[in-house]
Amino acid sequence: MKNADARSFLIQFETLALGKTVIHKLHPLTKLMSSFVFIIGVISFKRYDFIRLVPYLFYTVIVTALAEIPYRVLIPKLLIALPFCLFAGVSNLIFDRETALVFLNLRISYGAVSLFTILFKMYLSVSAALLLTATTPLTELSAQLRRLRVPYVFVMVFEMTFRYIGVFLSEIRSKNTAYNLRNGGRKGIRIGHAGSFLGQMLLHGFDRSERVYAAMQLRGYSREEIPIAKQPFRLLDGVVLAVVCALVIVFRFIKIW
Amino acid sequence: MHMADALLSPAVGIVMGAVSAGAIAYSVTKVKKDELSEKKIPLMAVAGAMVFAAQMVNFTIPGTGSSGHIGGGILLAGLLGGTPAFLSISAVLIIQCLFFADGGLLALGCNIFNMGVIPCLLIYPLLFKPFLKKNISYGRLSVSSVISVVASLLIGSFAVVLQTLASGITALPFGLFAALMLPIHAVIGLIEGLITAGILCFVYKMRPEILGSARSGEMLKSDVSTKQIIVFLGVAALIIGGVGALFASTNPDGLEWAIAKIVGGEGLQTENAVQNGAGTVQDALAFLPDYGFRNGENETLGTSTAGIIGAVCTFIFAFVTGFIISKAKKARKKTDDGAKNIASENKNSAE
Repeated sequence: MKNADARSFLIQFETLALGKTVIHKLHPLTKLMSSFVFIIGVISFKRYDFIRLVPYLFYTVIVTALAEIPYRVLIPKLLIALPFCLFAGVSNLIFDRETALVFLNLRISYGAVSLFTILFKMYLSVSAALLLTATTPLTELSAQLRRLRVPYVFVMVFEMTFRYIGVFLSEIRSKNTAYNLRNGGRKGIRIGHAGSFLGQMLLHGFDRSERVYAAMQLRGYSREEIPIAKQPFRLLDGVVLAVVCALVIVFRFIKIW
Repeated sequence: MHMADALLSPAVGIVMGAVSAGAIAYSVTKVKKDELSEKKIPLMAVAGAMVFAAQMVNFTIPGTGSSGHIGGGILLAGLLGGTPAFLSISAVLIIQCLFFADGGLLALGCNIFNMGVIPCLLIYPLLFKPFLKKNISYGRLSVSSVISVVASLLIGSFAVVLQTLASGITALPFGLFAALMLPIHAVIGLIEGLITAGILCFVYKMRPEILGSARSGEMLKSDVSTKQIIVFLGVAALIIGGVGALFASTNPDGLEWAIAKIVGGEGLQTENAVQNGAGTVQDALAFLPDYGFRNGENETLGTSTAGIIGAVCTFIFAFVTGFIISKAKKARKKTDDGAKNIASENKNSAE
């Protein structure tokens, strides 16, 4: 993943999360829990259960459509998760050659079935996680984490790290440009320069963190936790969560074909 | 090295999630006890974000045409100390999972364990710190960085192999899988180790007190003994080992099944006998009791053509549903916009 891509990814997701669709308006707990239940449901299938996984497609397709998330945003991200899954899946193709079924005179091996299953599981689980973040702003997500009693210190580190990633990505980009302009036409940064290249940035970062801390203190930051607003859990939130859980369980245990 | 949800079984995912959550809770209490921690929160965040951004930079290795980037765990631990570094790398991993599809939501536990617990809570106190106990020098710093990074990547990638095999998703035999993963990660570790050494030496040269405080900060806290960490990791290993063994040995999809298949039919029969016996035990003990409902692989596939056609229809039906919802939404937006325009026109004309 290139630096510029990473930045545009972040901006894209922050913008998408500000939407006002039905899905965006759901309680973050509902979205968090449904995503977890859905992913657990998906990955609990065995490796030849490709066909039984298909009904789960409805979840991602319907949520994507209701939340108005464009596929051109989701699909490039799926590719990031692809290499390792492909590695494990293709090896099944090699080691698992027994014919599983014959379809239209085409011999499909167990390995092929398991490869499809892995790739399909990847699509479903990665989309579910991405849909969660594309429809829930980070502030809501971290507020929910705190409501779930995740330690305050950790939630704070998580939130601040996210905020600083954008800052550092642009800083690294300008440093990269500066280096390349003085690099005499050679490509890339030499490994011998890694220490001073990143070390400088780290030291700047450390100084910056001190300034941040000072600024936080000036604004009245103390060790005490900042109280979080309660978000009402409406009937609709409960119904959606119940329906998703019920469907995940029904399609997990009931065999349609 | 990120584990993906698609390669994981729920039991492995949940167990590893519990272990990593425990490690986070442990580190949070340790950081809270440290008086400096308040100041360390922005530092942890900045360092974590910095490591994330720095992973995007590829360094070229002269004469080879290849390139490498930094890892993170050992670098952060060297700068911040073990437990704060673990918290910041965990935050980075969560962000990578949620926003960049690197790893999965349920695989988070595995990833935090492989890339956080192993380098920060295992390798750092047991390997990195002892090297620098007497005094810090460029030589010691470089050697300990390279060795620690290589060690954490090797153990981490071995953990990936174990987690994947325990989940029973891939048919790769254990030996081959490990033989593929370990050498690659040893080489990657060497490059990452050199870069990490370069950065730590630079920081030490410019601001020696940063490395010193990370070191002494850890030492001051006598209650964060290595013993505790070892006990914690021992318990974690036991849980993982127990669950892993249970699954690897009882799951007919797992590694023995693959080995038996490669060896031939003879092995398979004895395996089955063992599996059947252990399988009943497992059914009783299973974390998620989906085994009782499992239809068996052959039966699932026995459905053949009818099943495939049904699946294809569902596929199409699902996407058509999505398409209709999007279209309907767009149409409604248009009519809403149209109504608004008419309303504003009426308003204008009235004025």
